[in-house]
Amino acid sequence: MKKLLLSFAFCSTMLTLQLNAGEQFAMSDADRAMYQEMLENNPAEIYVEEGGEILEEILGGEEALAKFLEVSEKDLPKYIAGFPRYIKKLGNVVGLDQVMQAMQVALGKEKTKLKSEKMFSMLAYVKSLANDELINIDVEADEHIKASYALGEKTFMTARGGRGLSCNACHSDDIVGQVLRTQPLPDLGEVAVAGTWPAYRMTKSSLRTPQRRFQGCMKNALLKVIPIGSKEMISLEVYIATLAKAKGKKMAIPGLKR
Amino acid sequence: MKRRIFLKSICTVSAIAVTAPSTLLAKEAMKGENALSYDAAVMAITSGKAVTASDKVKLVVPEIAENGAVVPVKVHVESPMTDTDYVKAIHVLSSKNGNARCADVMLTPLNGKGYFATRVKLGATQDVVALVEMSDGTFLRAAKSVKVTIGGCG
Amino acid sequence: MAEARKSMIKFKPKKFKVGDTIKVDFIVIHPMDTGLKKDKKTGEIKPAHFIDTITFSLDGKPFTTMKVWETVSTNPYFSVNLKVLGKGKVTVEYSDNTGEKNSKSKKLKPKG
Repeated sequence: MKKLLLSFAFCSTMLTLQLNAGEQFAMSDADRAMYQEMLENNPAEIYVEEGGEILEEILGGEEALAKFLEVSEKDLPKYIAGFPRYIKKLGNVVGLDQVMQAMQVALGKEKTKLKSEKMFSMLAYVKSLANDELINIDVEADEHIKASYALGEKTFMTARGGRGLSCNACHSDDIVGQVLRTQPLPDLGEVAVAGTWPAYRMTKSSLRTPQRRFQGCMKNALLKVIPIGSKEMISLEVYIATLAKAKGKKMAIPGLKR
Repeated sequence: MKRRIFLKSICTVSAIAVTAPSTLLAKEAMKGENALSYDAAVMAITSGKAVTASDKVKLVVPEIAENGAVVPVKVHVESPMTDTDYVKAIHVLSSKNGNARCADVMLTPLNGKGYFATRVKLGATQDVVALVEMSDGTFLRAAKSVKVTIGGCG
Repeated sequence: MAEARKSMIKFKPKKFKVGDTIKVDFIVIHPMDTGLKKDKKTGEIKPAHFIDTITFSLDGKPFTTMKVWETVSTNPYFSVNLKVLGKGKVTVEYSDNTGEKNSKSKKLKPKG
């Protein structure tokens, strides 16, 4: 009991220190420039290149992807920048990794697991094809994407877990900038989560997808983790994409993150 | 008010540190087979020769490293890089890692510039040091402190 | 099936002429394990496994050699300059503490 009280007291002090420490932890311009420069030599680029090779080898490359999605190769980049999408022949709102799985099924091939290094690289490659395109998700396009957006917003706003937290508890507009665990909380639209993930995460020294990042965040907030590729996870991606779209953000894959 | 309670409650489950407490420092400075203290590393490189702090060596590191696993380091040394006057070696060291050595880079005039960049691991807040050997045998030095924050979500 | 290690050589700027001094950037996928960390899945200490020597050569002649330690980040990045005297081939040879050797090359093509 004493230990609990002590740790609570310690944490309260730390918390006060932190909420006032915004300036202390805000990145200096010089530091920001250094980290920005690191983007030019991002280890994830090697995984992206590898993803392209795998895509070519097992599915026939972007040519086959465009064909499957029923768009021209010329329109493919812009089309990719609008994901997740409702794909009629799949009957669901899906991510590009799920599209690639469907392509494998159509070819009678074994599905690559969504949660595999191979799929992460392929997803990163495909998303990178849309680099410099504006994130153009259209949540009014059909009733399915509309429903997905509504579910995504609900998932984002719902307080759950042992501490009754929602994504919004830390990521709402009025919390942005406050410091949590030494890091200023980001504006998810401004940092263009949808446009910069998959990214190389320095703390993990590996390529991470946005869904895995969401899972990591959920674990920390003591929220039950939502499965990769699930309806709710896709809907979250849809919601998050609209935040970046609202800020006029473009695709820039792979990102480089803490 | 409600938010403060939320953030406070997150606080109780998270491990926060600005600078690593002594226990973490000791853990990170664990002895590996290549363990070598900063002083011993400098001795190994200079054999005890004089080392002068110099403006000619420009060391660029972040003030606050976003994470300790990937800390960018850039070293620029003013030098004509001719056959008779060039940067012979740039040694990157850290003051508190178990193995103080990060990289020993032997340059030649063909490099054109006295420059080296890499990314290093820092186990805790400490100095990054650039120890430079010039072709005339002299040693120059520049050092900068890097705050390593251990925190963040996910 | 063991694959050759993946790496990338980049020249900066991409377009350069004879007489320019360019940056030669090298990134390689390598765990750079210190030998001090446990494998999260098995609980066993991951043995030290890191690149320890790198040689940058131009047409077979070394112009930079490096001794590298386990304190360098995973999937490391190294950058040095190179004075461009003409066309050629830049080769980066690297070996690690297990004796594994690899190399990567890139053609140097100055414009004018």
